[in-house]
Amino acid sequence: MNTQSKIQSLFTNGILEIILVLLCVVLAVTASGFLTAENLLNVLRNVSMQGVIAFGMTMVIISGEIDLSVGSAVAFSACLTAFLTQKLSAEWASLPITLAIAIAIIFALIIGFFLGVFTGFMRTRYQVPSFITTLALMTGLSGAAELITNGFPLTPFPSWYNFIGGGYIFGIPFPALLFLLTFIILQFLMNYTTFGRSVYAVGGNAEAARLSGINVSRVKMMVLGITAFLAALSGIMVSSEIMSGTATTAKGWELDVIAAVIIGGTSLMGGVGRIWGTMVGVVFLGVLMNGMTLLNVSEYWQHVVRGVIILVAVLLNLLQKEKTRR
Amino acid sequence: MSIPTHSLQTRFLRKEYPGTVALDDVSVSFLGGKIHALIGKNGAGKSTLVKIIAGATQPTRGFILVDGLEVSLSSPRDALERGIVAVHQELSLVPELTVAENILLGRLPKKHGLGNAVIDWRLVFDRAEQILADLGIHLDVREKASTLGIAQQQVVEIAKAMSYEPSILILDEPTSALAQHETERLFDVLKRLKTRDVVLLYITHRLQELHEIADTVTVLRNGALVGTIGIDQATPAAIVQMMFGEVVQRSKPVDLIAPTEAFIEVRSLSRAGAFQDVNFNISKGEVLGIAGLLGSGRTELLRAMFGADPPDSGELIIAGHHVRPTSPEQMKELGVAMTPENRKDQGLVQLLSTRINLCMSSFNRIASHGFLTRAREERLVERNVRELDIKVARTDAPIAFLSGGNQQKVVIGKWLNTNPRLVLLDEPTRGIDVQAKQQMFQIIWEMSKRGISCVVVSSELEELLDICHRILIMRAGRIVSDVRPSELSLENLFAACMKEEA
Repeated sequence: MNTQSKIQSLFTNGILEIILVLLCVVLAVTASGFLTAENLLNVLRNVSMQGVIAFGMTMVIISGEIDLSVGSAVAFSACLTAFLTQKLSAEWASLPITLAIAIAIIFALIIGFFLGVFTGFMRTRYQVPSFITTLALMTGLSGAAELITNGFPLTPFPSWYNFIGGGYIFGIPFPALLFLLTFIILQFLMNYTTFGRSVYAVGGNAEAARLSGINVSRVKMMVLGITAFLAALSGIMVSSEIMSGTATTAKGWELDVIAAVIIGGTSLMGGVGRIWGTMVGVVFLGVLMNGMTLLNVSEYWQHVVRGVIILVAVLLNLLQKEKTRR
Repeated sequence: MSIPTHSLQTRFLRKEYPGTVALDDVSVSFLGGKIHALIGKNGAGKSTLVKIIAGATQPTRGFILVDGLEVSLSSPRDALERGIVAVHQELSLVPELTVAENILLGRLPKKHGLGNAVIDWRLVFDRAEQILADLGIHLDVREKASTLGIAQQQVVEIAKAMSYEPSILILDEPTSALAQHETERLFDVLKRLKTRDVVLLYITHRLQELHEIADTVTVLRNGALVGTIGIDQATPAAIVQMMFGEVVQRSKPVDLIAPTEAFIEVRSLSRAGAFQDVNFNISKGEVLGIAGLLGSGRTELLRAMFGADPPDSGELIIAGHHVRPTSPEQMKELGVAMTPENRKDQGLVQLLSTRINLCMSSFNRIASHGFLTRAREERLVERNVRELDIKVARTDAPIAFLSGGNQQKVVIGKWLNTNPRLVLLDEPTRGIDVQAKQQMFQIIWEMSKRGISCVVVSSELEELLDICHRILIMRAGRIVSDVRPSELSLENLFAACMKEEA
């Protein structure tokens, strides 16, 4: 490959990465306080709770499905963890607080996983679109969170619990480490395992995948399950960050998460997308929001800008695809 | 009988596509008040001719005369204005609208005044009823199209076409989805149309219908006009001769192993509405053909054997296992593979690369402990590309860029990678060029030599004679005979498939 075509391929395949770098350069110059280790780690911490879900959502969208319930699932799992911790350490039993928290976390993660599997089951067994099932779950889980908390934040956590959402290891925020770990695992899963390759096949053409002897139902149940599991994990981080189970947290997160996935180049039609693209999409949105805040751009404007970015990113992707087709 | 006034003629029509000539100087005349059957094998040029007449595509050269006058048809709208209407094979009714709305779609009568914006429903229903009555059809025009059976929908399509008062009506395989009694009803309508001096062009694959409905038979082969004969001259022998030409028998390689013991058995396999009580054996390394017309149940049988559409009853005996196929996943484990009829939509994921498509059925075999690496995939893919002679520049580019023949090789390669015992091939040569077809035969024989049994379904009967050890003839969901190619001429095979369903 000669230099020119190398540059060309960088532009067609890495346009978002280039824009992200440019954005960072601009912000480094214009926004004081942007290019400090503290601020950058802060950005990473801010994006990590939505980010872990975004990686799962990438798989879901590649497989040709959607999950609208992740925001409510975050709130639900945060409340469930707080609720169980409270009950297990005080009311139903008087377990040591550490044990109570451990049981609560494990339970919340398992419940989360099976909620996703349920969506997949409805999809493959009864042909209920995942859009509908997760829309129902979105309302249902939000209500369930209100029910178990009685509408008030539950605060059963001891102070060390704050570590999960607010702690540091070697100066790096703990949620950011979970975010990176999730990235590595899913990147590997999607590119180096039979499961990951099947996800692309199922999303690209479910019938061809079925006729290739791939178990389409299992693949769909698994991707939805993994994503709901990650939403539950995110909920645990949130409950730790705010030290309570609050039913109103994470409202509207599903849209932020889907936006990051789409900006990262994943096609809503299924079959196309990369975990790495989502990583760039998530960081891009994080940097943009952080930069605008540092530059004192009003929150309303931030929303408008984000809307424009989503549209432009998708447009760029489509134009690029048209180009390569020719 | 009145003197026909309507006519359609083509003069030296030629259509070239990059790399092929789809239509080669076709000059033919059709008169009003008659039903003209247009026949030919797949790829003979029928649909290209129809598309040109209907204005959907333009000829490279040549022209069309309607009622003796030269016309230029640069769009379907042009054709419509000249009184040419085509009813396509795929039905295009809007299911949630009434019969009347469907017939008059886009031309609903409006009430005068009120800016001509309000639909005059009484007029809509009256007019639609009138059109149906003229065709001798009794249907409630207020019913939704979705409540109609396929034959009735087909009739509504024809009524819709007739509402344009065409002088030329083209029917593209109108009976392909119809049952026997439905076909008869449709024929009644067509015979009525004959009395109205309409030029009726009737494309069909069902040769047994010709004597019931057609007045003349026009045959195309490889894009060229072979000729037009009156129905009284159209004996099966004459038609086969015209459709296939002088058939050159390609010889099978002599070292093809003779199949011996039963290897896989099919026992009383049935699926309601598709096929009943099918029994046969396949030997190791045997190439077994299934001949039958469209709708004979041949594709359904293959799909059932593969578990794609599980059978209602019956079983397969594979290497001593008695199994009722329930899913492709299960049959894959038992060493059964299938290359589907619709390669583009069912055989491949067009978005994905050649590499992933080749590996798609065998991820588990390629992976070690569930982990795939690109190197492992590439080793396999390289071998596929070499052995099957797949012409591909980059195996990581989307497979959509490959030609039909190469895509078909990828589908086969995908299954060879699962190390199968039995490969079911549904129309393996459809839509691929002559050279690729020869390669496909070589690949099938190569599999046979390696001890893989193959079941081949093909509409190209002469191909089955060329490549198979043995041929099963299927008619109306049953296997009616079991023959050896050496015992049978193409003509006889054709007649055996066509024989009226008793």
